[in-house]
Amino acid sequence: MITTSHYLVLSAILFTIGVIGVLVKRNPIVIFMCVELMLNAANLSFIALGRHFGQVNGQMYVIFALAVAAAEVSVGLGIIVAIFRSKETINVDEVNLMKS
Amino acid sequence: MGMSDKLWAIQFANLIAVLPAIVVMVTGFIVLLGDSCVPTWHKNGKALNPAVTFVGIAVALFFNMTRIGKETATAFSGAVVDDPFSRIAILLLGVAAILAVLLSTTYLENKKLHHGEYYVLILFSLFGAMLMASSNELITLFVSIETLSVSLYVLAGFARTEERSEEAALKYFLLGAFAAGFLLYGIALVYGGSFGLSPTGKATTNLTEIGAGLASAGLGGVTVMFVIGVALMFVGFAFKAALVPFHMWTPDVYQGSPTSVTAYMAALTKIAIFTVILRILSVLTPISSVWLITAQILAVLTMFGGNILAVTQDNVKRMLAYSSVAHAGYIMAAVVAVGVANGKFHDLAINATMFYLFAYTLMTIGAFGVLIWLSRRGRDCQTLGDLKGLVKRDPVGAYTMLVFMLSLGGIPPTMGFMGKLMIFNVLLSAGLMPLALCLGFASIISVYYYLRVVWMMCFMEPDKETITDHAVESSGALFAIGVTVVLSLFFGLAPTIAQNLLAPATNILVR
Repeated sequence: MITTSHYLVLSAILFTIGVIGVLVKRNPIVIFMCVELMLNAANLSFIALGRHFGQVNGQMYVIFALAVAAAEVSVGLGIIVAIFRSKETINVDEVNLMKS
Repeated sequence: MGMSDKLWAIQFANLIAVLPAIVVMVTGFIVLLGDSCVPTWHKNGKALNPAVTFVGIAVALFFNMTRIGKETATAFSGAVVDDPFSRIAILLLGVAAILAVLLSTTYLENKKLHHGEYYVLILFSLFGAMLMASSNELITLFVSIETLSVSLYVLAGFARTEERSEEAALKYFLLGAFAAGFLLYGIALVYGGSFGLSPTGKATTNLTEIGAGLASAGLGGVTVMFVIGVALMFVGFAFKAALVPFHMWTPDVYQGSPTSVTAYMAALTKIAIFTVILRILSVLTPISSVWLITAQILAVLTMFGGNILAVTQDNVKRMLAYSSVAHAGYIMAAVVAVGVANGKFHDLAINATMFYLFAYTLMTIGAFGVLIWLSRRGRDCQTLGDLKGLVKRDPVGAYTMLVFMLSLGGIPPTMGFMGKLMIFNVLLSAGLMPLALCLGFASIISVYYYLRVVWMMCFMEPDKETITDHAVESSGALFAIGVTVVLSLFFGLAPTIAQNLLAPATNILVR
């Protein structure tokens, strides 16, 4: 029997994977995929909780979160493309002109 | 017929509650469309975009001021609130945006970056910030924070030909998106944890309902899920507000972005995010024992971290970035007092926070404004070396910079001093003696690097003659600097006028 808590545990695991991925990966596109994983972990929680409470608002919030994530993706990929054009690389360790 | 009339009336009331934000958004669309219709070769075309933007923000502020004394209203089923607190926040946001638009006219001319999108993004980010100040519901808050952030990612990388600008945009984007992940997951957990807490007995993200639930249930009614959710949300906020240890993006983003954008986002994001933090911590006052110590540690780390890192910087933009981190620490210290003694010092804390945000806005935009004014001859003025011997070369720039450095360092007779004094008073009366002492020590460190700028300007000989032939139209920057200098000194000498202006902010809808 799969209960709501299974979904919540799964989403917590996905969120943790996302956080670790952002911290260890060096390619901005992979980093951004990990951010998407974090956002979708939150979405999964919203859906599971909304379903559990029998309320529609939890599932509705996911639509907002998806729209925001889509806007972020389009801006983010634009920035990454602009960097690649001038530097021929997008590795975040090599995109480092400014140091303290 | 009657039914539809009533629906229209409700819709109308909803829109009125967010009228300033709507005016700003519509102005954004007008500039966006107008920019593609007005031929770029037209000699007045360049002045049209900033002019429309200026007028749009001024109209929004006018609508905002006409309702300043009116009573609190909620709209969109309680998702948005129009209370005196949000009106004061919107006033500060609008002032910051107008000053930034004035600076931008000079900076864009200098950098040959005339594109209408710049002003569109300024307006859309201002729209997001205004909605943040009035959101009373966590998903509305999330969407408005992202509206602000996404616009600022693009603005940070607006100088497309400069690698530093692109790098700033990438760093800001990655860290900002990371923070958004924490924020959304935190909201999801708060949503789950709020079940049974709110008076309706349903899970909710509405702050008024959560506040009412917390007030009646107290600490005993709070689940672990709720507390973890709040903690994750505050990780997100701390990223956006650049609190130590979540500040690492700040120096690179502030240094790499076009200076006019740096000035704008330094002021705008700080005002917007601290109004949000203030509102949420007011709601969380009944469970202040959970967060009070953590928030104080965060404030202390931020003020010392920012100031200590700023000491070694040779780039003025980078130094000001760390200084803005330190100022976030001071503001956080004032915000903390909201939760002490079950909200007894609520009004004092809000007054001090708003006053300091106002002071911070003026002095930060002013300091970046002077850098823009000094760059008007085509040579970017960024390092301490560029400021050497400034008092002989450019007395206007030197003396105004002097005022801003004194204000940032908290030296009388400036507004920065009065702001720090108010925070100090709040902390002492709320019994947060250690925090007040930390604020004092951190300020002493900061005086060193602010006065180093003054030393460079007044007592060093310039490296070489740096005047080049072309000087751009700079009346916009000059006007913005003039206004900020006059207001910084005026409100430093007569702080009660600013206090009275900002006093309605204590009326905040919590439950």
